[in-house]
Amino acid sequence: MAKRRSDGMAVPKPDMTPMIDCVFQLMIFFMLTLKIVAAEGNFDVNMPIGQSSGAPQDIIAQDIKVRLKADPNGNLVSLQIGSRSLGNDDRAFAQLNEEILRAIGGQPGGPAAKDTEVELDADYNLHYNYIIKAISSCTGRFDKRTKQVVRYIEKIKFAPPRKPGA
Amino acid sequence: MDNPEVDMTPMIDCVFQLITFFMLVINFESTSADERVKLPDSEIAKPPKVKKEDEVVINIGFIRTKTGVKINPDRTTENVQPLVFLNGEDIPVSGMPPRIRKDLALYKLQHPGDATIKTTVKIRADSETPIGAVQELIKMYQAEKYEKFALQAMEKTEE
Repeated sequence: MAKRRSDGMAVPKPDMTPMIDCVFQLMIFFMLTLKIVAAEGNFDVNMPIGQSSGAPQDIIAQDIKVRLKADPNGNLVSLQIGSRSLGNDDRAFAQLNEEILRAIGGQPGGPAAKDTEVELDADYNLHYNYIIKAISSCTGRFDKRTKQVVRYIEKIKFAPPRKPGA
Repeated sequence: MDNPEVDMTPMIDCVFQLITFFMLVINFESTSADERVKLPDSEIAKPPKVKKEDEVVINIGFIRTKTGVKINPDRTTENVQPLVFLNGEDIPVSGMPPRIRKDLALYKLQHPGDATIKTTVKIRADSETPIGAVQELIKMYQAEKYEKFALQAMEKTEE
């Protein structure tokens, strides 16, 4: 029922229909354009010119060489640090993580961590997810207690790509 | 008799709440991500705190059937090669150099005084992409004097 003022005149009621129309249109637009994506992170790889992955380089003392061998389907067969094989499962990556920590003297963020560089040498057809696992193992670990990432090595580079059949 | 009027206020309240929610969660930036690329996940891949000033996103992956079988653009399943998904086109990695040069020409027009290229090449590669193809792509960018690369991974959240 329309309200009445004290002098008896009816208070005009605004028509809400156009506003509700617009608001529904807006809502439908936002609902349709909404794309739920999980958060993405990245690993920065600096590759200045001259340090091209195509050119052979002098291996300096602080370099850690990580070799990833693949089968013809692109699955990991063997993960090696230096000449030592660590296996091909998740345990191997955990072990790689421990080896890297040892290599930087057990001090994440220390001087050894800054000077050390990891070279990843993977077979051409190895799946990208193994490389991300290896980079993750070298870059650090997630501390469940503090919920922070403990950084080990920031400098990561790739060995020249191994051509299939080479 | 007067027609009984429906009180619209609670509905309008709810609808405004919904609109506000959608406006806040909408992310127009993620449009450069291609849905066909299934990124690997990593516990320590965290979104960068500072957004990169200038970046180019490269999606590299495979065309798959509904059952997940990798196929070539001509629907053959033999010797399937990864493709770069760029602006609605599917380009083989070997066809990228002209595109990179085109991007570079645009960059030089926009940044005439720059001695080095400050653009970060963000690589979103499918989990099953051969790393050699990714490395070749990096080499192509390096040949055009790009120096900064970022390998993308999905942030793994604890169960």
